[in-house]
Amino acid sequence: MSQSLAKQCNELKERYDTCFLKWYSEKYLRGIGTADNNECSTLFKEYSSCLQEALKERGIDRLLEDAREDNKENDAAFLGRKK
Amino acid sequence: MVLTHTTNHTYSHPFPTVTLAFFLRYCSPQLNPFASHVLSTDTISSHVDPETGRLHTTRIHLKKSRMPPAVMKLLPTSLTGGGAADKASYILESSVVDMREGWMSTESRNLNFVGVLSVVERQMYVAPRAANHASGGTTDVETKVVFRSRLGERIRDRLGHPSSAAATTAAAPTDSASNHGQQDGWLSRFGARGVQRTIESLASTKTQDQLGKSREGMRMILERLRQTGIIGVLELRKMARERSMEAV
Repeated sequence: MSQSLAKQCNELKERYDTCFLKWYSEKYLRGIGTADNNECSTLFKEYSSCLQEALKERGIDRLLEDAREDNKENDAAFLGRKK
Repeated sequence: MVLTHTTNHTYSHPFPTVTLAFFLRYCSPQLNPFASHVLSTDTISSHVDPETGRLHTTRIHLKKSRMPPAVMKLLPTSLTGGGAADKASYILESSVVDMREGWMSTESRNLNFVGVLSVVERQMYVAPRAANHASGGTTDVETKVVFRSRLGERIRDRLGHPSSAAATTAAAPTDSASNHGQQDGWLSRFGARGVQRTIESLASTKTQDQLGKSREGMRMILERLRQTGIIGVLELRKMARERSMEAV
């Protein structure tokens, strides 16, 4: 079973994942209620607040920032080259 | 310094099932034995754009080092932090699914080791327009991988920015002050450009092997979905989880 990177979030992740997969296969893929996936949003909020804490602890939030910066840099370089 | 590798593949499964398999592909080693190197998977964000009906998802995976051993051997331990060959790397995956138009685009990139090698994999899954309904539908996927090594450039950056150096080496704590000189000397000996090119081509070769395995894993999940449907997959996932809890 794929775990959360933070053990303490496993339970919350599991609940959200199950909800998401059900919503995705039974509703989204069938074109029912594509406008929202709210039915999992409460579960996601709980899971996410646990996860965000863990990302901060491990310094991954900074890696994510770097990746965003890097993207901007690359986009600028590619756009510049195309001229 | 950039190296690009593109491949095309057709799954003999309908588009919706393939997108579901994409989300499920790391969910359990029972379902996908080719995913045993994936240590964790987390969802950072997931939302449906109310205007387009597109589902945007961002996930982060932790994988046992994808850095090829040959690349690790090339690098001095001062840069890799010694045992970094068996260290894990974080992969950021973003995906967009458009069920109405019948496509899914994905992008995966490594978050650490980017100073040595950045690998960006982009995939475009499409339901063929003239889908043959008699055959149950197929899905085409184009995979494009871009390798980029900025070894020398990054180290020069780090020298100028001690605070960012601390951040990037945080995962592999080394005595950075004494290492900078060492790295610089090592790079100029081999020529940064040559090393960059070698790293890119080594990584490219390894990734081509890996692509076959990831396809094989997708196929196993697709077969399982065909046999038991999503409910069966969720059951199996639950059972596997309970078993692993007992083991702990």
